[in-house]
Amino acid sequence: MSARNWGTELDLSWISKIQVNQPAVLRRAEQIQTRRTVKKEWQAAWLLKAVTFIDLTTLSGDDTSSNVQRLCYKAKYPIREDLLKALNMHDKGITTAAVCVYPARVSDAVKALKTAGCTIPVASVATGFPAGQTHLKTRLEEIRLAVEDGATEIDVVINRTLVLTGQWEALYDEIRQFRKACGEAHLKTILATGELASLTNVYKASMIAMMAGSDFIKTSTGKETVNATFPVAIVMLRAIRDFFWKTGNKIGFKPAGGIRSAKDSLAWLSLIKEELGDEWLTPELFRIGASTLLSDIERQIYHHVTGRYAAYHDLAMC
Amino acid sequence: MLQTTFPSSGAWAGSPDPRRDYTLSPVAPPPGWRGRCRPSTSKFLWAERPALLGGKRPARVMAATRARPSAREIFATLEYGPVPESHACALAWLDTQDRRLGHYVSGKWLKPEHRNSVPCQDPITGESLASCLQAQAEDVVAAVEVAGKAFENWSGLPGASRAQHLIRLAKMIQKHQRLLWTLESLVTGRAVREIRDKDVPLAQQLLQYHAVQACTQEEVLAGWEPMGVVGLILSPTFSFLEMMWRICPALAVGCTVVVLVPPASPTPLLLAQLAGELGSFPGILNVISGPASLGPVLASQPRVQKVAFCGAVEEGRALRRTLAGRGAELGLALGTESLLVLTEAADVDSAVEGVVDAAWSDRSAGGLRLLIQESVWDETMRRLQERMARLRAGRGLDGAVDMGARGAAAHDLAQRYVREARSEGAQVFQAGDVPSDSPFFPPTLVSDLLPASPCSQAEVPWPVVAASRFRTAKEALAMANRTPRGGSASVWSERLGQALELGYGLQVGTVWINAHGLRNSEVPTGGCKESGSSWHGGLDGLYEYLRPSGTPGRLAYFSESMNYDTFGLAVPSTLPAGPEIGPSPTAPYGLFIGGRFQAPGARSSRPIQDSQGKLHSYVAEGGAKDIRGAVEAAHQATPGWVSQSPGARASLLWALASALERRESALASRLERHGVEFKAAKVEVELSVRQLRAWGARAQAQGHVLQVAELKGPVLRLREPLGVLAIVCPDEWPLLAFVSLLAAALAHGNSVVLVPSGACPIPALEVCQDMATLLPAGLVNVVTGDRDHLTRCLALHQDIQALWYFGSAQGSQFVEWASAGNLKPVWVNRGCPRAWDQEAKGAGPELGLRAARTKALWLPMGD
Repeated sequence: MSARNWGTELDLSWISKIQVNQPAVLRRAEQIQTRRTVKKEWQAAWLLKAVTFIDLTTLSGDDTSSNVQRLCYKAKYPIREDLLKALNMHDKGITTAAVCVYPARVSDAVKALKTAGCTIPVASVATGFPAGQTHLKTRLEEIRLAVEDGATEIDVVINRTLVLTGQWEALYDEIRQFRKACGEAHLKTILATGELASLTNVYKASMIAMMAGSDFIKTSTGKETVNATFPVAIVMLRAIRDFFWKTGNKIGFKPAGGIRSAKDSLAWLSLIKEELGDEWLTPELFRIGASTLLSDIERQIYHHVTGRYAAYHDLAMC
Repeated sequence: MLQTTFPSSGAWAGSPDPRRDYTLSPVAPPPGWRGRCRPSTSKFLWAERPALLGGKRPARVMAATRARPSAREIFATLEYGPVPESHACALAWLDTQDRRLGHYVSGKWLKPEHRNSVPCQDPITGESLASCLQAQAEDVVAAVEVAGKAFENWSGLPGASRAQHLIRLAKMIQKHQRLLWTLESLVTGRAVREIRDKDVPLAQQLLQYHAVQACTQEEVLAGWEPMGVVGLILSPTFSFLEMMWRICPALAVGCTVVVLVPPASPTPLLLAQLAGELGSFPGILNVISGPASLGPVLASQPRVQKVAFCGAVEEGRALRRTLAGRGAELGLALGTESLLVLTEAADVDSAVEGVVDAAWSDRSAGGLRLLIQESVWDETMRRLQERMARLRAGRGLDGAVDMGARGAAAHDLAQRYVREARSEGAQVFQAGDVPSDSPFFPPTLVSDLLPASPCSQAEVPWPVVAASRFRTAKEALAMANRTPRGGSASVWSERLGQALELGYGLQVGTVWINAHGLRNSEVPTGGCKESGSSWHGGLDGLYEYLRPSGTPGRLAYFSESMNYDTFGLAVPSTLPAGPEIGPSPTAPYGLFIGGRFQAPGARSSRPIQDSQGKLHSYVAEGGAKDIRGAVEAAHQATPGWVSQSPGARASLLWALASALERRESALASRLERHGVEFKAAKVEVELSVRQLRAWGARAQAQGHVLQVAELKGPVLRLREPLGVLAIVCPDEWPLLAFVSLLAAALAHGNSVVLVPSGACPIPALEVCQDMATLLPAGLVNVVTGDRDHLTRCLALHQDIQALWYFGSAQGSQFVEWASAGNLKPVWVNRGCPRAWDQEAKGAGPELGLRAARTKALWLPMGD
């Protein structure tokens, strides 16, 4: 990640008039999934591209250094070498975009990636993930500790209470402090859209998060009942475009949670392409938070190359 | 090898002629294209450029030499690739007909000798797919004959059996849906995705919905019977779905259909074949392919009782004139333009998607008139242009295109419009730089057209959006209603009050709030003004093909000697006609206009004789100027009356009923003098009083809420007043007919201009005395005088919204002919008297249906 978003002054006029029409957004979400598809070589290339957008994630209570290590290795070698060779893509250095873990596992991940000899960034969730219901002081401390351990990307969760009660200035101030605590690390702000009640709130929270200096806005923690959905994504992407038009800053987008199939990932790519354009289709501006998606993509690539469907034992576990 | 099953002759195996197999890999453009349209530089993304414009395929050779891009290349560019949908089965189906399509009549293919044929071409490559035989008049006659025979069986069936048959057809379509969608996309050039995901499922839904209606017909539609043979005329811009919208209700209620489709439209023929191969009732759906000139031939066949026409406004007008006096009822659905009102309270991004749905997709048939509030004009324009750059055009059979090409005619139409708009000073924005010889027309945004420029008046063609700005919602309403078109519109506003105000105020058939282009078989769709007043879908769609039971069949009453230029032109001058044996008290004198009796403009009078031929009294001789005044007065009274609650309307009608009751003896004696027996006269007055009360009560219950699948939220089926309704009352039942017609019209919120019975206008004038005190001024206007002359004035008046005529056959013919001017709906009695004392005739649902128009208001909900 290169360019940073330094944020702007809080300007509530950017969000005061906005109205999002939910049924219309739902219809658009439905359409966009059927209007664009890719097949054959295009599908294979797009899937490989999708791999490079993945924040390979493990966020479980039972994470230990051994499965984190396994994850990191899979991040470096996401697709079987012979499959990449068949596609003439083996020299492209295809890896996932990052690995994403809990703060306590950051040092394990950093160590494992160093051993594997690669520079994939480590992302850490923070600020009382997933609920964000802890004191601000501890939330800020959590960010600092994760950065100290070597995380270069911090996925923070916002305080939903502030959104639901309309305290936009307070939300802006909090994220601003997260930003400061991150230092050089990139700030990815999780809006937990499943708990924001309306799409209009999603738009407003997105705008506030970007004004406060988020480098990325992210749909959900993966722990809510409703995760990354197309309607929510459309609203966030429209907010990103509006922010870009107002300030010239490109903010990244990260859907997370519930993206499991290769087909889903293609739909997400075409969504970005349609709503924001090709400039956003880089790991600097687009990530997919997922854990099981990668293995399905690998299976599809296997099928594209060999013409057969893979058995589970044909592909490495992560 | 691919095995495709066909409905006709069992299985067919093998791939079609490889030369016809259109390669969908990106091919190099033909030599003339080089350097003129590059996908990389063009903003408008070409999913695939045509390989072939002439008859040969030079590009094919070049395609072979240029390899498909490798995954490695695509990985860098992340471009879209071709997503071809195989159309092998469509070609194979054409092969079963030896690439020579005839007509489908009586369950058989009909390929008469010695007919001209027209090539059916791929609109993108120009490749000839098949040749289609052009029908001649005798083929039409034969088809109508078949449909007429089939009608006897089909209409006699119990509704449940017809329902069964429709369900079987729905299943048949389901089984062959791939053939249907590939064939339609191949020949029309529309995006296959739209046909596959929307049109074909809707066609099935239509059959299922109407099967249910057929099943409950005996119960719900008791008192109505099918009209008979229906002639449906489609013009090229309307897809097979428009045919389904009309044949489903017609078949459901028991009518049989002859469809005239434009040359080179195989999909309706395929549908007819699918229906024919169900085995039983082969003659209920017959499809003839032929030139537009056969339309009037089909329409004027004596057995054809109802003509449904979809096409351009001018064609509809011409057909209306041709059909005057021919007997068949005419339902018009004209024009394709739609309207979108975007207010500052809108979710602009979503509204932009609405524009895409309305004009820049293959969902819509026509262009869009776009009204944008000034305060969000710049923002909207920016978003529109950004969105346009992401649209993809290409071969309809590609699964990832938004817009296909629709052939040369549509292309030229759009091109002419844009050129014209440019010359009138409009700003034109087109996504991408398109060579002039390309079959594709780019999505186009025309702005800053001033209302007075000719282009603003013309219909906007696909895929053009004509944007103009408004300052206030009130102004938007005025601008939107100031066109002769009244099809469909959408309103985009997050403010509920504003959205409803606009939705109710727009004079169109369908309004979507914060959505565009939604359709459902349960929701009536239609229009008003020059978009034609016919309905399809819902209950309103069924009534199009029904008539009250016991109505005699419609026969032609066409008079060759009719001279439209002179009918009713001159008023014979009247002279004093002998001693006036004055009634007591003297009859009211004057024209009842604007709430009071006025002297006629001509300052002359006509004598009214009683049954003994003696002079009863004089009535004022109304003329063109008086009609003008009456219509103006009616228009002034309209807004007030429309805004009255149904309850208020009811109580006024009831008050009028009481007034009539008080006047009973006077009215009865007037009638008696005109030869009505005293007892019968009393009955007529009593019935009139009852009619007023009945319609007053019915004013309370109008419109209802529909709950539609796939839509969260209601659809309101509103019954709106027509506006100013002109009624020429019959000579028979001088009081009862006058009151019945008046009551029905008023109950539905119309303001009225009436011409009372010619022989006996006095009772009507008596009633006016009460109306002067009870009703708002101008709501009811009564003009006496020469009936033919007044009829002429009314029928030719452009600002009358509907006309009911009960008089001579000649008058009926004239009214039908003249109504083509503003395409007002007319109801004529063709010279046949009507039994006004019978419940069904005098107060039946038919009057109520004709006295108001339907509007569907879609209200999607969600937050």
